[in-house]
Amino acid sequence: MTKRYVLVHDENKCIGCQACNVACRSENNVPESVTRLQVRIEGPYGNFPNLHFKYNRVSCEQCENAPCVKVCPTGAAYVNDDGIVSINENKCVGCLYCVAACPYKVRFINPETRAPDKCDFCKDSRLARGEQPACVTVCPTQALTFGDANDLNSEVRKVLDTKPSYQQKVNLGTEPRVYRIPSRRGGIKA
Amino acid sequence: MNNIWGSMEQYDPVVWNWIIAVYLFMAGLSAGSMLVAIGLKWYKKNRGLPTEGLPVIKAAAIVAPVSISLGMALLVLDLTKPFEFYHILLNYNLTSVMAWGVLALLVYIPLVFVFAALVFEKQVLKYAPWLAGILKVCRLLENSIHKLIFVLAIGVGAYTGFLLSALISYPILNTAILPALFLTSALSAGSAGNVLVATLFFSKEKSDCIDQVHRIEYPVAFNEALCLVLLFVGLNFSGPAAQGALSAITQGVWASVFWIGVVGLGLLVPVLSSIFAPKSWRHTKGFLITVSCSTILGVLALRHFVVYAGQSYIS
Repeated sequence: MTKRYVLVHDENKCIGCQACNVACRSENNVPESVTRLQVRIEGPYGNFPNLHFKYNRVSCEQCENAPCVKVCPTGAAYVNDDGIVSINENKCVGCLYCVAACPYKVRFINPETRAPDKCDFCKDSRLARGEQPACVTVCPTQALTFGDANDLNSEVRKVLDTKPSYQQKVNLGTEPRVYRIPSRRGGIKA
Repeated sequence: MNNIWGSMEQYDPVVWNWIIAVYLFMAGLSAGSMLVAIGLKWYKKNRGLPTEGLPVIKAAAIVAPVSISLGMALLVLDLTKPFEFYHILLNYNLTSVMAWGVLALLVYIPLVFVFAALVFEKQVLKYAPWLAGILKVCRLLENSIHKLIFVLAIGVGAYTGFLLSALISYPILNTAILPALFLTSALSAGSAGNVLVATLFFSKEKSDCIDQVHRIEYPVAFNEALCLVLLFVGLNFSGPAAQGALSAITQGVWASVFWIGVVGLGLLVPVLSSIFAPKSWRHTKGFLITVSCSTILGVLALRHFVVYAGQSYIS
């Protein structure tokens, strides 16, 4: 059975500490000027005394219908057998079409390879060794759950089947594989 | 970098810059110039008039190959890996509009050079007599070559629009109007480019066939204006993100570029000047040069506006 790796970010558990951000940089040797993953602290939302911040994980959404893959003229951007949106640097000419096409703006040019770069769920390192991605392992509040959604007994499957979740920009039809458990705290716009 | 999550620099939604805008302009100029020249040739032919040595056609034989070559050079130099650009000629992903463009240009560019070589056959043979055989074959196929260039030029003009409209998260770009807008503005740039070069270098008599080229300028300008109206009215009815993008024409530097460059230089100056200018001016060199330069600048402004304002508003 094919893999369908998904990631769940629980915005109630996240504290915005950026441990994931740092772990990702370290694991994947991401150059200092760029980043594959950041958790933006947005807000405050709500009204006094019910104020809260939102933790917005920004990284590749691993779209099941990926715009970057569709627009790439050479096929350098492709979906791997495991469903992970991948980059063949040897085929890439650096036209930036994929960077422009990504609705989440999570692709960037790696200054060392001159090719696009982004989160790949640590597929060549940790995932290949049967470990979880660096961000998932390092998270101190266990806000991240990762796994194969096609595996009926997987943790992600249980989480997504029992908790409400949302994905970003679903109206564009990209079918992102990063799911988010929304904050329980409310707040009408002032 | 004041955020604890790091620099936001790489998240700038404006990914493609002025080099792409100039390329889109150059491709449109080349395609438009070919469409106008070949259209004029057919127009004359149907009426039994001579088509050899027309200044506008000579001008197109210069404008089209030069602009597409400069445009391609810019495009290749803008790649992050310019020395590996050959991969784009070897690998084709047919869901990508850019791949369609590569395929069209791969045939279009050599044919435009063939067109130019046939127009300047004498001069070419003087410097490269070894081309005589090939040119003879091309001359026999001239009619088919013209038809093929005409179709490919429509393709090149329209694909630059589809290239941008495939970017689904930018409301201004992600519309079906864009290819039509690019094709009509390519026609205005092409006819103005042809008139400019013809007036500067090839025109002996005052009118020649510049008149006929002038005649298509009204409908083209009307179509361009119509496309712009449709684009922005359409945005107004396409949800909050698209409505937000309407401020592209009311706020900021790109609004000025739009009203002064696209509308003013590109549409109002050419149309008003041909309505109000005294008859004695109309075929003077100065007038033709001023008006065609104004049109060309207007189309250049349009490409910049679409590239920058288009990418500045993300849904």
